[in-house]
Amino acid sequence: MLVGLVLSGTLALSACSGNATGAADSSAGPGGKAAQGGTLQVLANAGFSHLDPARGFDGGVNNVYRLIYRTLTTQGAAPGAEGTKIVPDLATDTGQQSDGGKTWTFTLKDGLFFETGAPITSADVKWGVSRAWDPELGIGSPYAKQIIDAPATYQGPYKSGDLSTIQTPDAKTIVFHLKKPYADFGSVVAQNTFVPVPKGQGAGNQLDSKPIASGPYKLAEYKPGASLKLVRNDKWDKKTDSVRAANPDGFQWTFGLDPATIDERMIAGQGTDSDAIAGTVQAASIARIQTPQLKQRTMSGLSGCTTYMGLNTTKKPLNNLKVRQAIEYAVNKQTVRDAVGGSTLADIATSIQPPTVAGREDYDPYPSADHKGDIEKARALLTEAGYGGGFTLTLDSRTQPKMQAMSVAIQQALEPLKITVKINPIDTSTYYEVIGTPSQQKDAAITGWCPDWPSGATFLPPLFDGRLITPKGNSNLAQLNDPGVNAKIDEIAKLTDVNAANKAYGDLDKQIMALAPVVPLLYEKGLMLVGSNIAGAYLHDGFSGGIDLVSVGLADAGK
Amino acid sequence: MTATIGGTSTALVEEVGTPAPAGGPPTSTRRILTTITRDKGALACVLFLAIVVLMAVAAPLITKLSGWGPYQFDSAAINSDLGGVPHGALGGISGKHWFGVEPQNGRDIFARIVYGARVSITISLSATLLTGVLGVVLGMLAGFYRGWVDQVISRLMDFLMAFPALIFMIAILSSLPAGNRPVLLVVVISAFGWPYLARVIRGQTMTLANREFVEAARASGAKDVQVVFREILPNLRGSIIVMTTLAIPGYIGTEAGLSFLGVGVSPPTASWGQMISSSVSWYSVDPMFFAIPGAFLFLTVLSLTVLGDKIRSVVDQGAAA
Repeated sequence: MLVGLVLSGTLALSACSGNATGAADSSAGPGGKAAQGGTLQVLANAGFSHLDPARGFDGGVNNVYRLIYRTLTTQGAAPGAEGTKIVPDLATDTGQQSDGGKTWTFTLKDGLFFETGAPITSADVKWGVSRAWDPELGIGSPYAKQIIDAPATYQGPYKSGDLSTIQTPDAKTIVFHLKKPYADFGSVVAQNTFVPVPKGQGAGNQLDSKPIASGPYKLAEYKPGASLKLVRNDKWDKKTDSVRAANPDGFQWTFGLDPATIDERMIAGQGTDSDAIAGTVQAASIARIQTPQLKQRTMSGLSGCTTYMGLNTTKKPLNNLKVRQAIEYAVNKQTVRDAVGGSTLADIATSIQPPTVAGREDYDPYPSADHKGDIEKARALLTEAGYGGGFTLTLDSRTQPKMQAMSVAIQQALEPLKITVKINPIDTSTYYEVIGTPSQQKDAAITGWCPDWPSGATFLPPLFDGRLITPKGNSNLAQLNDPGVNAKIDEIAKLTDVNAANKAYGDLDKQIMALAPVVPLLYEKGLMLVGSNIAGAYLHDGFSGGIDLVSVGLADAGK
Repeated sequence: MTATIGGTSTALVEEVGTPAPAGGPPTSTRRILTTITRDKGALACVLFLAIVVLMAVAAPLITKLSGWGPYQFDSAAINSDLGGVPHGALGGISGKHWFGVEPQNGRDIFARIVYGARVSITISLSATLLTGVLGVVLGMLAGFYRGWVDQVISRLMDFLMAFPALIFMIAILSSLPAGNRPVLLVVVISAFGWPYLARVIRGQTMTLANREFVEAARASGAKDVQVVFREILPNLRGSIIVMTTLAIPGYIGTEAGLSFLGVGVSPPTASWGQMISSSVSWYSVDPMFFAIPGAFLFLTVLSLTVLGDKIRSVVDQGAAA
C-alpha cells in the first residue's frame, strides 16, 4: 500500500523492530500493562481519508479500522514478527484450501454481532467483499479484485447484484473461488475489503459517515477534519476475539493540529494530554526530547516502508539504462536523510524491500562512500550514454516542507552532473492521483510503499509488474515493463512454499535494481512521544509502524 | 501594505490642494537630499538600504568571498542524529558560516540572505515600477478626462480595493502552474497595488486641471498631450516619489508574506519569507535561523518606511511653502 502520507502527522509512520532505540520495553514507560477503561486521546494533523473499509488503504486507517471492524483473519497484536503473523479473526482458522489452492473455505465463529445486534453471517462477509468491485467504492485494497475470480463486467453488488464466485452454502460458511491458485490467501482475507457489511447496506458514502461496527468500538461522533469519538460496542464479545485487548472505553481523535503544536503538547503532557498518543515527532523537536524523562516516553522503530524516487522509464533520456544508473550513483542519500530529520528518523535505503520484509537481502548495488553519491562513476556512465552535457529532469513533489526538502536535496545532488532538476510542486491532496496517471506524471517522483503484509508479494509485483500499468491509479511509477521481471514474477507466484517465494523475491529485488527503475532513498523510522499515562503501547510492524491501537491503553484509567 | 498607503493618501490629497509655486518646485530633489543627509536616522536608513542593494547586486561576488553558495549543502555543519540541528552555538555561527547554517541541510544562511535580498529587491522594485506606471497613467486619464473614462477607471479601482487581495493572491498563485514565479508575483502584486496610487493621482489631476496655469496653457492652444505632460505631470512629481517610496516596503512585505505562505518563489530559490517560514518549527531549538532573516526583513522595511516618511515631510513642506 502507499505510505500513509495523508496521515503522516498521526500514526502512519514508524514501527518496532530490533533496532528500537527508545525505552519502549521499560516497565514504567509506555510498554507497561494497560488497565481497563478511560478514554485514550489521539492528537493528529490530518484526518482520515475514508472510514469505509473498501475505500481507505494506508497504514494509518488500517490501524484504526481494527478498532471498528473485523476481518476473516487479521494480523497478530504483538511487537516484532508476531505482529505480522496472520491469525484467525471472524473465521475459526486461516482458511481451508482445496482444488490445489484455487478454492478457499472459511467458517465463521459463533457469537458474532454487528453493533446493531444483528448476527454477522457469511452473506454479510460476501456483501462486504463484493463491494470491492464497485468502481466508486473499490479504491482501497486491490487484492480481492486481483485474486478472486469474477466476471469481467462485475461492478459490485449495488450495480451488478450477486457475485457467483463467492458462495455461502450456510450462514457460517463462505467459499472463495480464485482466478489461479494462491498459497497465501489466508493473508489476503485480512485486508480491509473482507470486512462484513450488513447485506443491502453501505452504498455510496454511507460507511464513510457512519461505519457499521463489527469490532470492539463504534462511532459516537464524527466531525471530518475536526474530531472523531469512538465508544465501546457492547455487541462485541471479547470471548470471540483473541487479538484485540480493547482496554480503553473509548478513543478521542483531535484532527487539524499543527505538527509543531502536537509536539509541544506531547512534551508538556498537561491535562488529558498525558492520556494521548500522536504521530512521529518533527525533526525540529528531536533535540528537545533527549532528556531522560522524555526519552522514557519515546518509542522508535522502522516504519517498514521504503521511500523511493521512481524514474519514468518511458521518458527520454530516462529510458536509457545508463542514465538511470548514473542517477542511482549520483544521489546523495545522506542529504536526503538529513532533509527528513536525520538518522533518528530514517535509515538509508539501498534495496527496494525494507528490512522488515521476509526474505530480503541487505545489499547495495550502487555503492558510494557514506552513501554520499559517487559523482565520478555517475559522470562516466552519463558520458557513455551520450548525456555528458546534462539534461533537464522534472521531479514531481508535494507542496509539503519535508517533500520539498527531499526534492531540493536530490536537485542539489544531480547538479554536478549538469542535470537540471525542475521541481514540480503538486498539491498534497491530488499528488497520488497525478503521479498515478501515466499521462500526467513527469520524469520522476518521490513516493513510498509499505507492504500490505511483510512479504515481497505485496511489494515487488504491484510496483514493477509491467502488465499492471493502468491509465489511472497506477503504482508502477517507473512504468517498467521488462519481460525478464514479468516472467520472474509469474514464476514466483507459482511457488507454493511461502519461504521459498520470499527468498525468490529477494533475488527479484536484485534483478530489478540492476535495471534501476527506482532509487531507493530511505527506510523511514517512527519516533513517537506518548503521554505519561499511556501503557501497553508498541509499534506494530504491520501498520507502517503505528502504535497498535487495539493493544494500547492507559496505565491508570481513573486519572 | 495597503492600509498604510491608503491612510497617507487622504492626507496627501488635502496637502496638494494648496497651490504650489507656478513652474513646479525646481529644487525638490536637491532639497530632499540635503534634508536626508542632515538627518541621522534617515542617513542610517540610507546606509542600510545601500548595503542591502549592494548585497543584491553583487550577490555572486559576495558568496565567492564567503566561500559558500546559496544552494550548497554542508552535511558536516549539522548533527544528523539530532534531527539536523546545526553544530555549535547560535545556529552554527562560525568563521566558516558567518550567519550559521540552515538546519537539516547545512545551507549557508549568509549566502541565502544575500541571494534572498536579490529576490526581495527585484520583485519589490519591479512591482513598484509597474504599479507606478499603471497608477500614474490610469489616475491621470481618469482625473483629466473625467466623464465615462473616470467612471470606468474609478469603478475598477473601487473593485480592486474592495477585493480581499491577499486571499485572491494566494488562490491565484497556488492554482497557476509553477512557471516563472517572480514574474507572476510582480504581476499579481501590481494588479492589486496600482489603485492606491491611481486614486491619489486622479484627485490631484482633477484639482490641477482646473488651475489657472493649465487654463492659460489651454488658451494658448496647447493640446491635451502637452497639457498633461508639460503642465500636470511635473506637478505630480512630489506625490509620485512619496507614494512609490512608501510602496516598496509594502511590496517587500507582501513578497515575504506570500513566500511564507508557500505561494511565493519556489524552492530552492532563497527568499527571506521562505526562510522565516521554514524557521518556524525550529524556533525553540535554533532561534538564530528565525532571527537573522527576520531582522533583515524588519530592518529593510523599517528603513524604507522611515525614509519614505522623511521624503514625504520634505515634499509636504515644499508644497506648503
